[in-house]
Amino acid sequence: MRLTAEKLTIRRGTTMVLADVSLAFDKAQSVALIGPNGAGKSTLLKTLAALETPDSGHVRLGDRDVAAIAPAERTREIGFLPQHFEPHWDFTVGDLVRIGAARHSNLAPTAIGKAMATYELANLQERRWSTLSGGERARVLLAMVLVADPPVLLADEPAAALDIRHRLDVTEALAARGRERLSIVVVHDLDLAFRSFDRVILLDRGAVVADAPPQKLIDDPRLDAVFGVRFERLGTGDGTALRAKR
Amino acid sequence: MKIWLGLGVLLLAAIVLAAAAGNMWASPADLWLALTGDDSLRSRLLFEWRLPRVLAAALVGALLGLGGTIFQGVFRNPLAEPYLLGSAGGAALGATVALLVPLLMPQAVLLPVLAFAGAWAATLLVLGISRVAGAVDAAGLLLAGVAVAAILGALRSFLMLALSDETVSLQVVMSWVLGGIQTPTWRTLDLLAAITLLCVGLTSLLARRLDLLGLGETMAKSFGLHVTRFVALAVLAGSIVVAAAVAFGGLVAFVGLAAPHIARWLVGPLHRPLLPASALVGAIIVTLADAIARAALPPAEIPLGLVTAVAGGPFFIVLLARRLRA
Repeated sequence: MRLTAEKLTIRRGTTMVLADVSLAFDKAQSVALIGPNGAGKSTLLKTLAALETPDSGHVRLGDRDVAAIAPAERTREIGFLPQHFEPHWDFTVGDLVRIGAARHSNLAPTAIGKAMATYELANLQERRWSTLSGGERARVLLAMVLVADPPVLLADEPAAALDIRHRLDVTEALAARGRERLSIVVVHDLDLAFRSFDRVILLDRGAVVADAPPQKLIDDPRLDAVFGVRFERLGTGDGTALRAKR
Repeated sequence: MKIWLGLGVLLLAAIVLAAAAGNMWASPADLWLALTGDDSLRSRLLFEWRLPRVLAAALVGALLGLGGTIFQGVFRNPLAEPYLLGSAGGAALGATVALLVPLLMPQAVLLPVLAFAGAWAATLLVLGISRVAGAVDAAGLLLAGVAVAAILGALRSFLMLALSDETVSLQVVMSWVLGGIQTPTWRTLDLLAAITLLCVGLTSLLARRLDLLGLGETMAKSFGLHVTRFVALAVLAGSIVVAAAVAFGGLVAFVGLAAPHIARWLVGPLHRPLLPASALVGAIIVTLADAIARAALPPAEIPLGLVTAVAGGPFFIVLLARRLRA
């Protein structure tokens, strides 16, 4: 199903957090959302997930307004990976993944074991959240949300806390997932954003500045303007790498 | 499985011990005689007075454990407790009004209804205040609860002073405020048992959603929970449980705090096992505390609320210190 945003606007006091954002996403697509801090990436993602209500505008899944879909049904359609996750109780890894799986009533019985294996959690089943490292926590979060793999995935920097190997694995897996289902991912690591995704959306001060395939956007001077740096574009064997300078 | 068996055996032992304890200690043989329908005065006293009181204590304890678990789950705060949140204070104010203010309704109807209304209104008020003040964090919630509890306590004291010539009801109110299990008839005990079982059953329906809420509001929402609607429902359920506990046992402090904590150590934080485990732990605590209240200073009886406060207060302080350090 197509996901569309129509003229989303959110104000907080006098600042525009989202200013008239309209976007359309295909059923299968891998999209990176980039932009400096405070550009509105997280707010846009939450609004797409119907976790935040826009002051004006609509988000539609197919031809239905996401706000009008019952939460229990919406969670089967849209998965959301938050930037910060801290459960209030000291659940075990197994508890958390099972809680994630329970939101889908007719999940294959093998799904939990598969998610545990995919995110290398099989040996951590009985471990409590408080004893996990940052990287283990990020993997648990991924397993919780992706154990019931929804058609639409909205992910807010799920790999930020991971070491380089896991960050590469997770980000590339989310991008690859976009070949079959829609993945919209907030990515801080610009090289990963340009290298792994099919479409890059550049946000600044609540507005879409550019929305293009990565190979086109990477040479765009607006990239330098928005991030407030000068990027050196370095040719490498398989594309262009960015090096930021003042 | 071992844990459940252990809790069951422990509760049974606590009940036997409490039934033996009192102004006049009874031996197991005395208890057996009383249970098998012996007609001596001693047996009848045990059967008609002590046994119902012991069982009522266990049931009130179960309700307090259940209520504490629900409120801790709703507020996602391990320091939440019916007594600290003002819900117990609201129930006590309602009960005071029912007992002291002449209204055109039989007390038997008025008391539980007003106790429930008081518990519910006070909890919603605390929830509202802490929401207006920002996020529902530990400190804000506790401060709002303490403030509301203080106001409710003052109102209750005022009612007691203003209507103090009705001395008989005043004594009943006093025993309420200090916490104390009323000795029920066997029929009343049946009612209390039915209410408790109903509460255990109904609250288990909230278990999965309490787990979701424990992931934080954003995750709970994205996992399909209608957060505001569920919080309202769970506060309503918690208020019913607390009102039932207060109606039969008065203001008993800290059991609703301690029971869920101990249960969480035993069975973990998932609410499906946690709710019944907290009920069992609460039942064990209050059964023993009530036995101490009856037997420690014969022939006088120490108010139950004082026993649990002296035992539970330090527990709360330790938890608070650990929480503030974290």
